[in-house]
Amino acid sequence: MKIHSFSQRFFTSLSPLVSVQLPSPRETHFWYILPDEVKNASLLGEYLELLSPCEKENVFRMRGDELKKRALLARALVRTTIARYQINSQVSPRSLKFTKNIHGKPEVEWQQSDDSRPPPLHFNLSHTSSLIACGVTIDSPIGIDVEEKQRTIKNDILSFARRYFSHEEVDFLAAIPNTEVQRQEFLKLWTLKEAYVKALGRGFSGAPFKTFTIRYQHAAGGSCNSGNLNCEASEIVVDSFEEPSNSASNWQFALLELAGSHYASICKENNSSSEASKQPMKLTVWKTIPLVEDECVSGTDAVIRIGGSN
Amino acid sequence: MASVTGFLIPMTTFACSLKQTKLPTGISSLNSASLSMQGNGFPSLRMRPARFQISCAAKPETVDKVCAIVRKQLALSADTAVTGDSKFAALGADSLDTVEIVMGLEEEFGISVEEENAQTITTVQDAADMIEKLIEA
Repeated sequence: MKIHSFSQRFFTSLSPLVSVQLPSPRETHFWYILPDEVKNASLLGEYLELLSPCEKENVFRMRGDELKKRALLARALVRTTIARYQINSQVSPRSLKFTKNIHGKPEVEWQQSDDSRPPPLHFNLSHTSSLIACGVTIDSPIGIDVEEKQRTIKNDILSFARRYFSHEEVDFLAAIPNTEVQRQEFLKLWTLKEAYVKALGRGFSGAPFKTFTIRYQHAAGGSCNSGNLNCEASEIVVDSFEEPSNSASNWQFALLELAGSHYASICKENNSSSEASKQPMKLTVWKTIPLVEDECVSGTDAVIRIGGSN
Repeated sequence: MASVTGFLIPMTTFACSLKQTKLPTGISSLNSASLSMQGNGFPSLRMRPARFQISCAAKPETVDKVCAIVRKQLALSADTAVTGDSKFAALGADSLDTVEIVMGLEEEFGISVEEENAQTITTVQDAADMIEKLIEA
């Protein structure tokens, strides 16, 4: 793998992973890495050493250096992130094993040990060419999706929406007069729908996009139409046609503008009582270069909540 | 009698060996011989100049069209090779790219791909095979 070895920051030794407490039940942890900040060939070599043989094969199967690097960073992020939670002393980034559920959703395969119950840690990964993210929760399935804000859609947006989205979502998008705003709203909706399907863990065909609607709802009730898009106080809810009982109260969403350049959606299952479920999702966000530095960016400009009340 | 050894190869291996490869031009000279063979119980092949049409693998033209749509969606540089074996994910396609590609294929070929089927498409060849199956249906 030919990676230029000039680097913006010089490091002579790697720091051990800073350990972090597991998130509380209502909390979500969100870790992201910006591939452009990682150029040092030795560091990439260290990351490669963390991967399983199968993961290494997958990395080398990618076409071109940029894609190889992206695949490598995604696995390094997942392994180092989970290992931070110090579940027990046996867990290191390299020792983690992964498996897939029956629908193909990746999960940690905890090794048998004496204090046996596997920790209820859930994670989900998403990547674009310029940002890779990993969300972590306790006790509830999680799905995340990130997209570059500037991403262009090759197909006509409304044709695409008519083909894949629900009627309500098509109406919402069709009512937006400005094409740039429409593109942005389309992308946000895409990330929210992806995050929901990934949280469900049933695969793309397990919850076809047409079978559920995601919409913005004023905290006071009543829908947010596209004439009032600046609904920062709005809640994001999902209505599922196939499973009406599996709806709004079960799933909690957050939508973010990340690092000024990306939309990020997070969806997690709501296990709490109905009063507690009205509380907004507590979110802690770190920008990281694993083994080098971590920066907690919650509350800074790098993380702006849009929709899903603060 | 013109050499017919090429027709005695079992259909499946013949198809596999024809995937994406241009046929040697020598075969096109057999075109004129095909009519005399149809009564002999040999598998009948509809022959076009320099190409065979095999029913168990997608036509090269279909594969080429899929490659073109994939190239356009993923904005691949001219020196990135795209063939039937190419996996979308290995070319950098994410889920939105894959759905956009499927939609592009639906429009190009006038077909409709259900989500369960869309999920099984991971390579250019998968897409081409599915397209042909849907066209024939």
